[in-house]
Amino acid sequence: MNAFMVSARHEMLNARRTRTANLLLVVFIGMVIASSVIGWVTNQTVTSVYQKVVADGLSSAPNPFSGVSPLYYSRNAVIYVLLIGSLMAIVLGVQATLRDRKAATADLVLSRPVGSVARLLGQLAGLGVVLAVVIGVSMSISWVIISIINGAPLGWGDTGRLVAFSALSWILLATFALLGMLTGLRSRQETTALLVPFVIWSVVAFVLPQIGTAARPVSLLNPVPAVNPTGGYFDLVSALTGPLSVTEQFKRASGIILQDSTVTGDATPSVLILLSFLVVMSIVVVSTPRARMRSGLDG
Amino acid sequence: MTTSAITTDQLTKSYGPKLALDALTLDVPVGEVFGLLGHNGAGKTTAVNVLTTLLEPTRGSAEVAGVSVTGDPRSVRRAIGYLPENVQFYDNLTVMENLRFFAQLSGLRRPDGRIRDVLRILDFEGHDRQRLGTFSKGMRQRVGIAQAILHSPSVLFLDEPTSGLDPEGVRTLRETIVRLNSEFGMTIFMNTHLRSEVTKTCTSIGILKAGRLVHHDTLERALSAFPGEDSLEAIYFQVESEPAS
Repeated sequence: MNAFMVSARHEMLNARRTRTANLLLVVFIGMVIASSVIGWVTNQTVTSVYQKVVADGLSSAPNPFSGVSPLYYSRNAVIYVLLIGSLMAIVLGVQATLRDRKAATADLVLSRPVGSVARLLGQLAGLGVVLAVVIGVSMSISWVIISIINGAPLGWGDTGRLVAFSALSWILLATFALLGMLTGLRSRQETTALLVPFVIWSVVAFVLPQIGTAARPVSLLNPVPAVNPTGGYFDLVSALTGPLSVTEQFKRASGIILQDSTVTGDATPSVLILLSFLVVMSIVVVSTPRARMRSGLDG
Repeated sequence: MTTSAITTDQLTKSYGPKLALDALTLDVPVGEVFGLLGHNGAGKTTAVNVLTTLLEPTRGSAEVAGVSVTGDPRSVRRAIGYLPENVQFYDNLTVMENLRFFAQLSGLRRPDGRIRDVLRILDFEGHDRQRLGTFSKGMRQRVGIAQAILHSPSVLFLDEPTSGLDPEGVRTLRETIVRLNSEFGMTIFMNTHLRSEVTKTCTSIGILKAGRLVHHDTLERALSAFPGEDSLEAIYFQVESEPAS
């Protein structure tokens, strides 16, 4: 087994044994499941009220849920991936690289015939598998709950869309895990290793979109599209900062994939921007010199 | 066939203006237990870090097991075992999981049998399923030795191996070092500032002062030059007190 595979397996084992990471995983899976359950409860409540209203002869309009895409019930998952999933990925990423520096195990690892690129790529691959398992479990449970709500298994088309959304979620979370790995490698203190990516995440998730979409700030925390400025200064600022907000790109692409009627257009540009960030972050992380990997922490 | 396990020529390492290792020229034959003595900050750990390829030298050259540390560092790493001062592991993993990781990094394909063998050699059987979080310093040190010898290295580097150990731990470690050298033929390069340890385990010594090697000889010759119970102590302090050339 080469250093890449050994590091990947070791990372998976460590993630499994880390209490904080496990807690975040449980919360994330729980929230994604809750998203589908909330959708199901909403459906049940609205439908029962609708049936009562129709029975009383007060309305002849169709059930408001009759024309809704089955994937409507998982639309809140977009927000949970953005908020809890991103934080979970950052924590996993920071722990992956900070662990060796904090416990000085980096010297033991780097005294073995291991290249720094293989080591870091292996760690990333291990984290990637952990994230894929978490997303896979969450989406599988969502699939089951949505199928129960609809009274029939989701069709191939909708299942494919759910898989595409899972893949998109993985790209976003892997990017944040890389951000965590980077600060875990570069920070001089444990607190800054965690604080810096959280600050970057909050800027990307809240500040950058706010610059161009101040007209409708509610869109920052809810799965509704931001209003695009139609001209002038805000249009220019939005055009410049928009691509930097990977969370906005994720929301937009997810909305299109999950057939959210409020989001229109082509998801390809947003997906390409997300992939670009993933590739750039990967290159930055794996180009970390060996000396940096074994540098100790202050204090 | 090479008869030197470690050779250095004018090996120098500086951190900015600070010279940590100053033109170290050394030859440690195969099968020796070499003790590098010196005060804290004399450059002992820097020497080990360069020889184990953890640091790149600023100038000079070094070969370990016949391989250049700068020319082919990966081959050097295959040939060596390394125990750092205050060795740490992944505390949330078991002894077996920790050792399996380091064995596989060293290229061992199915290491579990070898790990059990090594734990038996170190009289540490029965601990393989325990997590390291609860281990004492002495127990960690034994796991540290285990990870260093899993892949049967020809040269073993030990950085202050007895640091922080109680007398019983020191005695056990000393016996282990002697055994690894005599039974398994490993060349051992040991950093220490405890002269008594050198007397009991080493076959040759070097004394490092402010990054410079100020004395290098076999233990036997060094002791015969200064007869008496505290002779190594005498040599050490005499050499230490001489002004650096």
